[in-house]
Amino acid sequence: MSAPSIPNLLSLRGTGRGRGRGRGGGTPGGTSAATGSSHDSTIQGTDTDAALSRLSAVELGYLSDPFATLFTGGQPNQPHSALPPPRRLPIINRGTYTRTTGIDLLVDSFLSSTDASRTRQILSLGAGTDTRAFRLFSSPSSHTNISYHEIDFPSIIARKQHIIQTSPSTLSSFLYQKPNPSNPLNSPPHPTSSSFSFAFESDGPSRNNNNTLHLHPLDLRSFPECPLSRFDSLSSAHPTLIISECCLCYLAPATTTRILEHLGRLFPQSAMVIYEPILPHDPFGKMMVSNLAARGIVMPTLTEYPTQQSQEERLRAEGGFTEVRSKTIDRVWEDWVSPGEKERIDGLEGGLDEVEEWKLLAGHYLIAWGWRGSGMGKGLDIDVSRGDEGGDGDDTE
Amino acid sequence: MPSLPSSVDLDECIARLYKKELLAESVIEAICAKTKELLMRESNVVHVQAPVTVVGDIHGQFYDLIEIFRIGGWCPDTNYLFLGDYVDRGMFSVETISLLVCLKLRYPDRIHLIRGNHESRGVTQSYGFYTECVRKYNSANIWHHFTDLFDYLTLSVVINNQIFCVHGGLSPSIHSIDQIKVIDRYREIPHEGPMADLVWSDPDPERDEFSLSPRGAGYTFGAQVVQKFLSVNNMVHILRAHQLCQEGYQTLFDDRLSTVWSAPNYCYRCGNMASVLEVDSNGGRFFNIFAAAPENDQVKDMQMPDKMNPGGEPGALPDYFL
Repeated sequence: MSAPSIPNLLSLRGTGRGRGRGRGGGTPGGTSAATGSSHDSTIQGTDTDAALSRLSAVELGYLSDPFATLFTGGQPNQPHSALPPPRRLPIINRGTYTRTTGIDLLVDSFLSSTDASRTRQILSLGAGTDTRAFRLFSSPSSHTNISYHEIDFPSIIARKQHIIQTSPSTLSSFLYQKPNPSNPLNSPPHPTSSSFSFAFESDGPSRNNNNTLHLHPLDLRSFPECPLSRFDSLSSAHPTLIISECCLCYLAPATTTRILEHLGRLFPQSAMVIYEPILPHDPFGKMMVSNLAARGIVMPTLTEYPTQQSQEERLRAEGGFTEVRSKTIDRVWEDWVSPGEKERIDGLEGGLDEVEEWKLLAGHYLIAWGWRGSGMGKGLDIDVSRGDEGGDGDDTE
Repeated sequence: MPSLPSSVDLDECIARLYKKELLAESVIEAICAKTKELLMRESNVVHVQAPVTVVGDIHGQFYDLIEIFRIGGWCPDTNYLFLGDYVDRGMFSVETISLLVCLKLRYPDRIHLIRGNHESRGVTQSYGFYTECVRKYNSANIWHHFTDLFDYLTLSVVINNQIFCVHGGLSPSIHSIDQIKVIDRYREIPHEGPMADLVWSDPDPERDEFSLSPRGAGYTFGAQVVQKFLSVNNMVHILRAHQLCQEGYQTLFDDRLSTVWSAPNYCYRCGNMASVLEVDSNGGRFFNIFAAAPENDQVKDMQMPDKMNPGGEPGALPDYFL
């Protein structure tokens, strides 16, 4: 059953746990310049769902993310502030942890295998309320020269920009808006998106790390009429990591194919990470498709790329990645989470009773990644079991 | 034994619960108190005679419980043994446990209830029963009444002196069934020890002996453990629940152990079948397999998540990794 209202009894003990924000409520889909359809707002609502899941995992200690509370409030001045944060079921919390940890590992591998003294790009498709850029910029590992780009519906970008600009010290201590004239960035007005991108410079723990965050309002369905090359701050010359964390799965397969081909042409030295559901045809998968459809959520690519193999083939054939790998979330947990960390996670909510259900659910989601171009494979060819070796994120194989 | 207050008509309560109506808090309190007295006199190992229909995890899937009665026969025409996990996860834990407790009180020799790992204060706070109680009664009182009652549920049942029934499985500290009889069970389920193992452990066909469980409580146990337990105790079969089976049941170790799972489409998400195990008077076993009751779909349609009412009742639609 849906779990949004399970109280976190542990959190109710204290008072200082940032419970001031309620559920996300409606996303501002209705104000979207691109479309106002209910399907769009439903899909945008999945981002609220992800943000609430992230907050639940953070509040319970699965993940450390000081930015998780920023994006789970309602609209400014909405009267939902008295509600406690949602508590997801342990199985969902573990899934949020595993997927985040798995993608983080690949991002770290990308960063550690590219030259830190030159610009590296990360391009997050449908980033929504994702906090990864903030976590990277504020991490003690002092990553440098990251040009981080997020693309999403104009209404989502506008909200994120507003939150960044008005957020308390959490963000403003290390992120500030770039002064003109470099911002707003160029590009003529386009009928399906507003014309502004927003850039923020990072001033992380070690100064002068030269990280920037760029927010691009763009409806991905407008490809290829509205190509990414219109954004000046994106350069084909830099090694680029493209992330689609439950984004492309909401688009028509023909559109995603166009996007992958476009990205392939644009970034010769690049890697891509896709996180999506798979296996729609077994009993669990059929129920998943039907339950999501009842919430108005349709994932057209699920039947187009129903297996691990077909997802890998998609990266190879459409994205042009010469090397591809994939792991189900179940395997990410087994192989990439160290025994010590597994023990810590299992202890957070008194053990996971949903072992069989976890196997089913986590077996129906995967992370697939691929790369091409010189040097990219050095960090991304991760097939070893980190659980066995107990290694840390810097291991390359 | 003092009787129920005259204002409480048990048959009327049962009739209302079959219609999925909630009982008043005071009625629940009286019924729980009375049932406690009844359960207190049961041994940790209750002996029953076949025929009996054995039911695995229900987890608040009330419509599927009613489906079981439709398929297997109504109480008291059919004898029932429930293997635990009545609450948590599903949407109607309160209705489910209310009905089962009333039936137990009304027909104490026709229905037996074993304790599962979810019949616990700790687990019900993470997995939904606590929240459901507070949502439906605006206070945690009935959660206290029920979880106090859970402390009195028996831990195991033996059918016809030959089938050992438990929620989870075996324990490395229990060799003889007599060792179960001396456990002080009138308490919250502890984190470890024989009582925890009985409700948490799982069979593992890949191993022979005991090893640590991935659930973080109890153990997994293999073929040799099962064989030894059966021979020491002169039994022929172990019957348990606790693990989701896509087919509704699973038989292991050359038919020496079976799992019966009675929550179809578990959590409205898993797409699995369910079963009840009918044991006939000669000890013969027959799995009666069934799918989710059609009423579940109506709930799904009725309770779409409502953005306008974010603090209200959650929908029946399960979460995914979105």
